[in-house]
Amino acid sequence: MNRLPLLLGIVAALAFAALPLVTTSNYVIGVGISALVFTVAAAALNLIYGFTGLLSFAQLGFWGIGGYATALTVVTFGGTFWQGLVWAALLNAVVALAIGYPTLRTGRHAFVIVTLTFALLVTLVARDWVDLTRGPLGIPDLPRPSAFGHRFASTAHYYWVAWGFSVLMLAFLYALCSSRIGRTLVAIKQNEPLVRAQGISPMPYKLAAFAISAAVTGAAGGVYTFHLGIIDPLFLDFYYMQTFLIIVIIGGAGSFWGVVAAGVALSALPEVLRFSADLRMIIYGVILVAAMFVMPSGIAGWLRERRLQRMREALR
Amino acid sequence: MSALLEVTDLRKSYAGVHALDGVSLSVEAGSITGLIGPNGSGKSTAIDCISGFQKRDGGRIVLAGRDISGLPAHHIARAGLMRTFQTVRIYERLSLRDNLAIAAQQFDPATWLDEFLRTRRYRDAVAAAEGRARELVELIGLQRYWEIETGILSYGQKKLVALAAALMPRPRIVVLDEPVAGVNPSRIREIEAALAALNRAGETFLIVEHNVEFITNLCHRVIVLDQGRKLAEGTAQEIHTDPRVLEAYLGMTPEMAEAEMRGAA
Repeated sequence: MNRLPLLLGIVAALAFAALPLVTTSNYVIGVGISALVFTVAAAALNLIYGFTGLLSFAQLGFWGIGGYATALTVVTFGGTFWQGLVWAALLNAVVALAIGYPTLRTGRHAFVIVTLTFALLVTLVARDWVDLTRGPLGIPDLPRPSAFGHRFASTAHYYWVAWGFSVLMLAFLYALCSSRIGRTLVAIKQNEPLVRAQGISPMPYKLAAFAISAAVTGAAGGVYTFHLGIIDPLFLDFYYMQTFLIIVIIGGAGSFWGVVAAGVALSALPEVLRFSADLRMIIYGVILVAAMFVMPSGIAGWLRERRLQRMREALR
Repeated sequence: MSALLEVTDLRKSYAGVHALDGVSLSVEAGSITGLIGPNGSGKSTAIDCISGFQKRDGGRIVLAGRDISGLPAHHIARAGLMRTFQTVRIYERLSLRDNLAIAAQQFDPATWLDEFLRTRRYRDAVAAAEGRARELVELIGLQRYWEIETGILSYGQKKLVALAAALMPRPRIVVLDEPVAGVNPSRIREIEAALAALNRAGETFLIVEHNVEFITNLCHRVIVLDQGRKLAEGTAQEIHTDPRVLEAYLGMTPEMAEAEMRGAA
């Protein structure tokens, strides 16, 4: 097994931990929080889409449910932020099982459509169930969490929360993806009839992948909500889904480290381009299009192609 | 004596067309049984129904004394029936090693918890599967591709990988769907030799194939299907001279067939 990516990942995680020590800019630290949380949500999408081959737009709904569940736990139900994250994860896992159980029996296209519809439905609920979500006004002034008597009040301190959360979730997803379960998910994506012919029932694997992906995305939504300090229906803007999907596609669907690297890089890229405010998003778009031309299956896919090419030559 | 696989009165129709019209067949333990017939005779439908990949309309399928009719495909595989597919199915983006490891995964007692804790049960299961995989890779002669993604192999080599994967969990019976279709002739001899060696070691095969020479060389018994019914059954020699078979399958009279065979000799 190639241990190099794991070592690099650990080094990068430690380097990220030091960000608040090298800068006092709340802006830069805020970008760091986004990068960490978006990477986790993208890695969760990678589990269901990249590994299992099921394109899920429900991630946006899970992200929103997670954000609202965490905020409401604190504001309406008097719980703590940490309890809120647990509820966000559990609630999403249950919702994912309820959607997945009937939908995963149908084809992959039906799955895409049902998950998209679900995401839109969550947006409607967030806007129109005013008694619960306070509608378009949202829930402002979310208090920063505390633990062991310490309050993570400043952005720099909250950064540690986001960092700890991200490292924990990415470690969990890494362990999952590199296990026999991860290998079986890849097998299901590549050749489902063969998986069945080998005595493996694909359904429990798909359901588990979908539920875990939902739980992680929900908790990530909770962490991001408390970074923003407010939640309203804009939290369900398609921008988030698009960001997660771009990270997965550029990183290389099905590659754990490719997606993590792309998560960090693409979260920082729009900010790096701020030197030219007018052209920023245009340059960003051009870079994405160019990347897709050069590497149609992402960074990881590009590396893999080169490796295969070397192998073919070696075997000739 | 009772056979390892006993199929009785298997029926299947698509939109009124009888693909299988009451087919009965049996496979003895330790034998190689061939299933042949012209295109559309129901061979593929038969093995799809037997392996659970298609729902049968009627009939009973018993494997080693256990009724497996109507079970889903993965339960039939767990009962000890492994199959390959006509259009080769392997995990093209996984290494040869992983292809074989997955094939045996469902058959060892290690759970995800065993894996997480790296228990002895997990380590033993992995070691046993690895040993079996190396043995089979040697048999099919693909040792140098052990760590390599199987997508870069040739079509014939992929068929061998699919065969090795089917053998991984030491199933009771292996059903091969056209194992040599589209494979170049020199490799056909290799596959034939490998199957004969495996059979001598006790493995049971049911083989669907168009290549009559391959079936003749290998099979102890041959069953001929035509239009969803069993037309004939017997040794390869008996089948070769059965006028009904020649008529239906080859469109020849016995005299023509004899002339053909003399010409080939």
